[in-house]
Amino acid sequence: MKKNYDVIVIGAGNGGLAAALAVLNKGKTCLVLEKHNLPGGFATSFVRGRFEFEASLHEFNGIGTKEEPGSCGVLFNALGVSDKIDWVPLHEAYRLISLEENIDVTVPLGKEKVIALGDKLCEGGSKYMKDFLELAGSISDAMTYLGECHGKPDPNVMKTKYINYMTTCSYSFKEVMDKLNYPSIIRKVLTGYWSYLGAKEDDMSFVHLANMINSYFTKGACVPTLRSHGLSLAFEERIHELGGDIYFNSKVAKILTDETGHVSGVKLVNGQEYYTRHVIANCSPHNVFSTMLDKKAIPERALKLTNYRKFAGRGFTVFLGLNKSPKELGINEHSYFIYSSSDNIKVYKEMGKLPHTAGQATVCLNNALPDCSPKGTTILYITTLFTEDAWSKVSEKDYVKMKNQMAEGLIKQFEDALHINLHDHIEELAIASPVTYAHYCLHPQGVIYGYYSQYNDGLMYRIQMVNEDAYVPGLRIGGGYGERLDGFPSSYKSGANEGARTLGDIAKEGK
Amino acid sequence: MFTKNGPNEDVKRTLSMLDVRRKLIDDTPAKELPKTYAVNQLADALHPGFIKATIKEIKPCSKNSKVITLSAKKFPYFRAGQYVTISVKINGKVVTRPYSIMSSPNDALMGKLELGVQTAGYVSTYLTTQAKVGETVLVSEPIGDFHHDSIRDEDTIYALAGGSGITPFVSMIKAIIEGSENFKLVILYGVKSKADLMLDITKIKDDRIKIIPVYSDEKVEGAENGFLTKELIKKYLPEKASIFMCGANLMYQFVKKELAALQFDLHQIRSETNCAVDQKIDNPREFNLIVHMRDEVYQIKAKENESLLVAMERAGLAAPSRCRGGHCGFCHSRLIKGSYVAPKEYEHRRLADFKFKYIHPCSTYPSSDMEIDVPPVDELKEF
Repeated sequence: MKKNYDVIVIGAGNGGLAAALAVLNKGKTCLVLEKHNLPGGFATSFVRGRFEFEASLHEFNGIGTKEEPGSCGVLFNALGVSDKIDWVPLHEAYRLISLEENIDVTVPLGKEKVIALGDKLCEGGSKYMKDFLELAGSISDAMTYLGECHGKPDPNVMKTKYINYMTTCSYSFKEVMDKLNYPSIIRKVLTGYWSYLGAKEDDMSFVHLANMINSYFTKGACVPTLRSHGLSLAFEERIHELGGDIYFNSKVAKILTDETGHVSGVKLVNGQEYYTRHVIANCSPHNVFSTMLDKKAIPERALKLTNYRKFAGRGFTVFLGLNKSPKELGINEHSYFIYSSSDNIKVYKEMGKLPHTAGQATVCLNNALPDCSPKGTTILYITTLFTEDAWSKVSEKDYVKMKNQMAEGLIKQFEDALHINLHDHIEELAIASPVTYAHYCLHPQGVIYGYYSQYNDGLMYRIQMVNEDAYVPGLRIGGGYGERLDGFPSSYKSGANEGARTLGDIAKEGK
Repeated sequence: MFTKNGPNEDVKRTLSMLDVRRKLIDDTPAKELPKTYAVNQLADALHPGFIKATIKEIKPCSKNSKVITLSAKKFPYFRAGQYVTISVKINGKVVTRPYSIMSSPNDALMGKLELGVQTAGYVSTYLTTQAKVGETVLVSEPIGDFHHDSIRDEDTIYALAGGSGITPFVSMIKAIIEGSENFKLVILYGVKSKADLMLDITKIKDDRIKIIPVYSDEKVEGAENGFLTKELIKKYLPEKASIFMCGANLMYQFVKKELAALQFDLHQIRSETNCAVDQKIDNPREFNLIVHMRDEVYQIKAKENESLLVAMERAGLAAPSRCRGGHCGFCHSRLIKGSYVAPKEYEHRRLADFKFKYIHPCSTYPSSDMEIDVPPVDELKEF
């Protein structure tokens, strides 16, 4: 019976799975412990009647193609999972509907197409699109360079070649866009993706959102053919191939530490113990530093940092299995952003209330994968956020009523925005609320986006301070709460990075 | 090149970013973090996993069934029509079966849960003939989507019930009367005879509920007789209703044919899944089954005609068991080696499960020696 491992990973979410493969690929032994009976965390699917619903993924950016892999494609190659996953590319970025201003624009994918769209939006619009993509592109290049030199860039290169990064990095999206002073319709159309990061533009770091917009528009996006459950099982298969262990229904209660405060193992809820000097936790630091570590093993600075942070959006999703085809229903795109207003500061505030119809990000999976449900049917899922802990006042008895009231509003908003009827065609329905996300993944308050991108806790702050932010020797924390914030590519990358750092920690011990 | 306050000032700001954040962290008090949150507590209240309960009462319900009343401090509030699993120890081995809840959601909050159990299978017969008042059992949280939904369903449910398939509808009746659910219910209730009725129809006086018993083996004056035929279904069909069906598989086969003849789209009919039963095989072979549960490895026997879950329960393993009909996914397990039969009527696996070789042991039958990796359920072991 094996009880000792080089590394133990807590949580088989995207970050945990990537972290495990990062260390297993370098010949270390690794055990992954997951509380649920499936890998993936949010990256999963579920079956209702004749529909298999994707639980969370809208679109995956950064895979690229076999010939020209994107940043996540490169990572998947390195981890050894690329051959296990098939992807289908998307054709448009999103259809953006802003109700207050009557905006309804479908944004294509591909640099030239996005630039061409500009002139259709306003006079001279293409020039602004081009300018923005050039600025954002130069920032993406800078971030690639920073990654390649492991955070130790040549200051002169930064101040010459990557000057745009240096001049924008400390500013919010709003500050930079105000200064750029583009025509309002251009700015509104460019900002559609903001809700994927869940931060309003006066908090959201410019380089983060600009890099993301650039990456989607110029490199495209895709979805896996077998739902994100297929991604998670591909990772699990690879873990087994490399001799790793992964145990389900295995909730970790405690991270054990020795008398020096160094990690020494973990203890499951059932009392079983497994030993290691290196734990990578793919869960929220709020959980780690409140219940999983002994008080004496928690450095004061870790408490300060964790208290400093703010929770990001709590999730809410309505899953619909409809008994008509997308064409019959009048749903022609894959991704929709429907906002009550283009003013995302206002929308963000509205999203604090329960119920709200401030906005939604909606996917019709059939428009990417025509065969994802039986002929003549449609899978549609509507997602929104709660920017406050709005569900904390809901009682056990009122829970279903509140869930349905909230879902009704979102369904109606989609129907009204597209002038179509969904209601008469609902064959299967599932609703995930913050309570659901809290139940399955234990996230505080049902948060799905990790820590909020506060003005001073954005992407570049976190990446540069990642070693400084690790306080317990032998413990690394990655995933959606990590350095790269939330999202599929981000959580895989942050997990793999924590894996690499753990390998560094192990190497140092050997000396 | 972009600049906001002049390149020098912008770059300076970028270079001092981290000091700003360091100071913000320094200035934050090192308070103890909350151990839980209201939303997480609600999640725990609705999904406690397993609940230790006591059998409080066993009383006759119909000729062939009993009502088992379970008691605990509190059961989760549920949606009328849902089921729980109950785990009992028979001959020293823990076995688990699903039963529809027959009591109301409000009762659950008061710590009362009723199950209507017909003397039929292994566990049901134990519960109706051998179980004792005061016995401790393990009850799961309520599960399943066989319930009314205000968005998905019409305001009326047209229930087609056969035999003990009435139990989820009894819960719905109680929920409507107590006000925890709000819809109308028309029930076509097929039973053999009056003695088989699992509820006293004469006692239900509510405009929103209509029950039409249909007796198959007994001629009852002034009542409907025979089976749930298309004529009968049509006769009582409400103007606009969602059709819910609960009963034995044989009944489903019969009623589906009748509904098809009435031009119903069968996909729009909701039926509660039944447990996967033993396969009919003459002289079934016996195979070796290796089961991994975390770092434990068990070598057990598995019969060709019995599901892998039955084999594991027989061997006393703490195997996951919920719907036992292949659709809830609770027993999702990895196939390491061997071949199997998975009957189509219980096939609800995810697409990726086929590619990466995962099975639902509750509805999977061995056709060779097999090796599988199963998530253990510690609660069953400790129970």
